Amino acid sequence: MHMWRILIILYTLAFNSLWAELEWIQPPAYTDKGYRVPQPDYQPNLPKDLGAHPDYAIEWWYWVGHLEAIDSDESFGFQSTVFRLAGDPQQLDASDDAHFGRNQLYMSHLALSDISQQRYTHAERIVRNGWQANAAEQGLQISAGPISAHWNKPAQAIEMQLNYPGDTHLTMTMTPRKPMLIFGERGLSRKGADPAAVSWYWTYSRLDVTGTLTRGDTTIALQGMAWMDHEISSSQLGGDLDGWDWTAIHLDNGTELKAYRLRRPNGGSDPWSAVYWIDAQGQHHSVYAEGFKWKTVSTWTSPHTGLRYPTEVKILATNPTSRKLETYHLRPKLDDQEFTGNASSNAYWEGACDVFDAQGKRIGQAYLELAGYGDGLRGKLN
Amino acid sequence: MMRFFTESRVALLLLRKLSLRHWRTSWGSYLVLIAIVSIGVGAFSGIRQAIRAASANFSLFNEAVSGRSDFLIRSAQGPISSHDLESLAAVAASPDWHLVPVIESSVALLDESGAARQQLRLIGLDLLSLGNLPNFLERNFDISEGSGDWWSALGPSDQVWITHSLARGAGLAKDDRIEIVFGGLLRTITVAGILGGPADNLPEDLMIADLPSVQSWAKRPAELNRIEVVVADTNQRANRDFLAAIEARIQAQLPDGYRLEPAAEQAAKRASMTEAFRLNLVILSLIAMLVAAYLILQALDAAVVRRRHEIATLKSLGLSARVLFALSLLEASLIGLLGSIGGLAVGHLLALGAVHLLADTVNTLYFATSTQAIQLSAQDCWIGLSLGMCFSLLAGWLPARDAMQTPPAQILARGDWSPGFAWLRRPQIGLSLLALGGLALLIPPPQLAGGAKMALGGFLAAGCWIFAGALLSGQVLTRLARLLQPLSPRVVWRIAVSRLADGSSRHRLAVAGLVVAVSMVTGMFQMVGSFRGTIEVWFDVRFQADLYVSERGVTSQGNVNGITPEVLQSLSMVPELAFMDALYIEQVEGPIGVTTLAGADFSIWEEGRVEQIWLSPPGTFTEIEGAEPAYVSETFARRFNVMDGGIVELSTTTGPRQVAVMGIFADYGNEFGAAVVDVPVWQEWTQRQRPINTTLYLQPDVTVNTVRDRLRLEYPGLDFRNSQELRTLALGIFNDTFRVTAALNGIGITVAFIGLLLGLMAIFEESAQTWRTLKQLGISYKQLLLTAGIEGAGIALAAYISGTLMGLALGAILIKVINVQSFGWSLLWQLPLGSFALLGLMMVTTGFICGVGTAAWWHKKK
Repeated sequence: MHMWRILIILYTLAFNSLWAELEWIQPPAYTDKGYRVPQPDYQPNLPKDLGAHPDYAIEWWYWVGHLEAIDSDESFGFQSTVFRLAGDPQQLDASDDAHFGRNQLYMSHLALSDISQQRYTHAERIVRNGWQANAAEQGLQISAGPISAHWNKPAQAIEMQLNYPGDTHLTMTMTPRKPMLIFGERGLSRKGADPAAVSWYWTYSRLDVTGTLTRGDTTIALQGMAWMDHEISSSQLGGDLDGWDWTAIHLDNGTELKAYRLRRPNGGSDPWSAVYWIDAQGQHHSVYAEGFKWKTVSTWTSPHTGLRYPTEVKILATNPTSRKLETYHLRPKLDDQEFTGNASSNAYWEGACDVFDAQGKRIGQAYLELAGYGDGLRGKLN
Repeated sequence: MMRFFTESRVALLLLRKLSLRHWRTSWGSYLVLIAIVSIGVGAFSGIRQAIRAASANFSLFNEAVSGRSDFLIRSAQGPISSHDLESLAAVAASPDWHLVPVIESSVALLDESGAARQQLRLIGLDLLSLGNLPNFLERNFDISEGSGDWWSALGPSDQVWITHSLARGAGLAKDDRIEIVFGGLLRTITVAGILGGPADNLPEDLMIADLPSVQSWAKRPAELNRIEVVVADTNQRANRDFLAAIEARIQAQLPDGYRLEPAAEQAAKRASMTEAFRLNLVILSLIAMLVAAYLILQALDAAVVRRRHEIATLKSLGLSARVLFALSLLEASLIGLLGSIGGLAVGHLLALGAVHLLADTVNTLYFATSTQAIQLSAQDCWIGLSLGMCFSLLAGWLPARDAMQTPPAQILARGDWSPGFAWLRRPQIGLSLLALGGLALLIPPPQLAGGAKMALGGFLAAGCWIFAGALLSGQVLTRLARLLQPLSPRVVWRIAVSRLADGSSRHRLAVAGLVVAVSMVTGMFQMVGSFRGTIEVWFDVRFQADLYVSERGVTSQGNVNGITPEVLQSLSMVPELAFMDALYIEQVEGPIGVTTLAGADFSIWEEGRVEQIWLSPPGTFTEIEGAEPAYVSETFARRFNVMDGGIVELSTTTGPRQVAVMGIFADYGNEFGAAVVDVPVWQEWTQRQRPINTTLYLQPDVTVNTVRDRLRLEYPGLDFRNSQELRTLALGIFNDTFRVTAALNGIGITVAFIGLLLGLMAIFEESAQTWRTLKQLGISYKQLLLTAGIEGAGIALAAYISGTLMGLALGAILIKVINVQSFGWSLLWQLPLGSFALLGLMMVTTGFICGVGTAAWWHKKK
């Protein structure tokens, strides 16, 4: 089961820049297995397309953010992801058991980083379509174990409830502050040479957040900002990769940055690695592997799994707009933000970081994800 | 203090130099003695272990896979179903716990010829959610086994996963296609995978499948047996505050109409159901130890006799009586220790043999259970060692006192001094114990947690009377010998009988040891015989239908799917049918503990078309307004104190219901009792539709077996039996149920005979001077053997007579007191005279053989 999570994260994270390297290839209507394939020039119909697309093999909703208490100095980071995996494509139209469905599987990952108390809480649940999980097609209305989210039409915002271990509940209203970003040529994010290897990859790079964190009888009012990805696809990736390092940065100047490097077994970065700058208006520009450097500043060794993660990094890239070399120094707000989930064999590190410039001035906050530091993902991807 | 240490050192030195020297010279006797203690401890320890392993499911079946459950969610409105899950989704959203819906079922695994080979538990679980559960993850269970797509792990809906032990036991492997009978229907399913490995100790009759598949196969759409709650942080389970906080949080979130109960309550409920059964077995298992204690007493006493000269010398050299006392007790402890260690091994072997028998009994009489591997726990070891040591010390006490009191001058001057045990010669003690036992019978039976009653007075009386019998048996021996003395034709008879008439302590002890075993065995003979006889009479009256129909291969009390309404409807159309009587059952909570709510067609009962043995026939009691008329079993009536009529409130799945007793009938199905209401009432109260079985009454002049054979072909998932076949099956189950009892009886009597052998050896040893004199007077070797044989037979006869007399009293207690109080059954008291006679013959013969053998041994030795 964890294999699936790895595959999905890898493939959905990665190859958004591939279109730039390849000639246009028209995707087929269906994959060989029979799932529908995302088609070009599709303009998401919002808010409907925030909902589920059950005819496509894989879909995920991903939120990370930084929250601060309104009435105290406490601060938090959160991560929540819902993966949807479609079942047998030949059976998708067949009637499914209302309570224990076989047509859709959901995986929920959620984590909370309590920066003030230097405490990290996380949980994973695998649930099938039915009494514990479902996702509406007509708009964002997801419930998957401890995570639930829906689109509040009057408020034009996403309402989310995250239930953490230890009687801890995070309730948020997330209002997009920039239009939805659509990655890829003609709205398709290409994953590889296979014509079917494409996705719809949509992002809200900045959402204002208000909410409350309830721990037992204590409630803390919060505000902050978040990042949301939503990706839909039907094709898997192969590849000779060990894993990836990925980050979404909210800069204090109102812009955002997304950067990732796909790690090869020799330690080098895959050419499809990229950095995206998203300006205040929601326009984005990018450079690829040769245009930036990802340097490890220090590592952290997990006491839970023994894995060593490069948790403090510097990203050096020339901004294509300003033509200036910019430095983004990511330093974790909390060392132990390792997500071990149900089984530690597929652990990854994903946590809130402060971002500093070359002079050491704090310029923003980031979420950093470091995956594939265990046995490596090689083998598992082939 | 110094003196204590000095004396202890001396005692230990003497143990090594003196006692163990005797052990070396008579190692055979001591080995036998240690073996006897081993058997005694082993019987007790083995039964303990076997009961534990056979009753693994005081908790829940799926525990082995999904882990220990902490709470259960129940619906107050009726049986819980998948639809309830929608209301509980919000509760399930917390990662602090897992909600685990479960459906349980029984299936029969068929062999190649189509016969039922094994009854299995089929548990339906949400296989995809299993991967969230701590136990599943910790034990590295995997149902996907590398499947490429997630849904292929579920496979087509005909897949099951079986445990490693089931795969090994039934010779099954992954991808095997197997035939099962499920809910009265034949089905071929595929073994999708094997769960766990040899070390996982998973039940050997467990298969799991995806929950909706089981619902579909069983034709029990949306039905669930329960919803379990498993806490996520299993490390905190021991923390009561943590569990209480979790419980409070779930309670706060539960929608109206649901209630939460700790899973331990369910386990306790189940445990309490078999409490009386387990207690009775454990008490029975103590017989061998009790007999062993007599033998240790006997052997140590003989040892003191043999060493009297040494003891006298040591005393004359200034050794204190205290050291001699300690030395004797040390020796007894050593026997106890070595015997107990051996007993733990014997117990383990016995448990291996008994576990399946006990599991079958629990399955048949109480609830569905499965066995776990026998495990010898540290507690078993401590209990076993303590038991062996305590009994040995108690048995060693009197010989130790005897040794302490040895007068050195008298022994060294006269050569012998043997006071014997004065208490064995005083009938007053025995008679007092008899009276005490009588008084104990007046003690009212205390109630156990599960509602059953513990026949405390009965057990105390039995114990007192057994000891009384043992003590008075010496009187029987001497009186019997004196009675036979004038009739003794030849010299060997006269010698033997006169020795018996003297009634030495050794003779009396040998008889007493046998009496304990004989009285218990004859008592059990009567109980089992009476039970069987009563059941046969009950069968003759109660089971007069032509054909009995039930799910194929399913004989247990729990997890029965029942016959589907469609099949029942179809059976009602059988052309030869005159009428049909279906029986519906469901376990419900009574005022104290679990009981059975049964449903039957009242019109058939009231018209007398179905025979019953009525203790209070219909019409005895009048209807009570507001309560549903019900016919109740005797057990039910006794348990809930309504032998004279009245109302009992039962907690059903649809809420509390009152039944008014309209008649009381005899029933020997279980000790929880049954209240029978009319079928529509039963269906309304339980929200269920399926009968557990049905009986077919055919039209006159129809050949029953022809119809039976045809129906067997038409309904391959059902068992059709004529009354004779059902009777054979039921009596087979009855015999199986008492097999462990019979084994324990056998162990008791074997130990007693070994004891007789040891006793005779001690008697010969003690009478060495007499035999030497007789030899000098010209007694031949053959005459010596014959005299000894007669002496052995005489002891056995005296023990048989005393034991049987006491056994009769014991039988009365078992049948009239213990059975009635523990199980609520009135049994017809029957004396199995044939068995009694056979036992007597066997005892006298064995006594004779023991005597001859001992004499030959003594002769060879001397």
